[in-house]
Amino acid sequence: MAAISSPLAVPTARRELPGDLAMWCFILAELAVFGIFFITYAFARSANVAMFDESQQHLNRTFGLVNTFILITSSYFVVRAVESIRHDRGQACARWLGAAIACGALFLVLKVVEFVAKYEAGITMSTNTFYMFYLFLTFFHFMHVILGMVILGAIALKARAGGYSRASHAGAETGAAYWHMVDLVWIVLFPLIYVLH
Amino acid sequence: MTSSRTATLQWASLLALTTITFQIAQSGMSGWGFILPILLIILIKGRIVIDRFMELQGVAGPFRWIVLGWLITVLGLIAFAFHLTGDL
Repeated sequence: MAAISSPLAVPTARRELPGDLAMWCFILAELAVFGIFFITYAFARSANVAMFDESQQHLNRTFGLVNTFILITSSYFVVRAVESIRHDRGQACARWLGAAIACGALFLVLKVVEFVAKYEAGITMSTNTFYMFYLFLTFFHFMHVILGMVILGAIALKARAGGYSRASHAGAETGAAYWHMVDLVWIVLFPLIYVLH
Repeated sequence: MTSSRTATLQWASLLALTTITFQIAQSGMSGWGFILPILLIILIKGRIVIDRFMELQGVAGPFRWIVLGWLITVLGLIAFAFHLTGDL
């Protein structure tokens, strides 16, 4: 089993798509929307580099770093939840999902603290184009975190009630895929908005 | 190695790569030596999430390539936009 010891190791067998096909279509649509905004941000920046770079310096990178740690950790908890249900451990699955939801809640609290700090500094979407992108993209992602938490919560309740089994757990995989998409988007968003200049 | 230990290794790798991104950000560097390593780290982190957490590696059908293609396209166009400004 040495082949799977690396984070990027290649499994050999072809498998079915985990979760529901409809959710994967939704995920692709979401990625397309975020992708368009990311690319638009990058090209909008090229029209006014000095303003974007100066405004970026007022963002709290440490908040972004901590929030990245939190979302990555929540994704790990979701991986463990899916693994648990594949071993018929519904209660453990619910506990891992509860931990992931707690991470999501912490992420939201930190984002609210960040938003309030910007509001108190008089920064709004009208301040300049950089802040328009920053506030819009982070708030748009914020709403996806909330939706993801609702989905994970529903899955946790069903897992706790014994609604999933080793043989039937596509719902858990579907919710997990959505949550990982939220994580993937943040993995691009954080360095793009907070770091790259 | 069990799947939970593999997942833990992947999680630790993602945290380490995020820390490296932060260290590069705090270094005060700019230009090629600043932007390209960060984009490369995003690509590696994204691939771990796509292939391992989303479990798209080894899946039948085009979904893995669509999602990986999304990531590569977005990062490529971001690099191009930064190239236009002379940052790259």
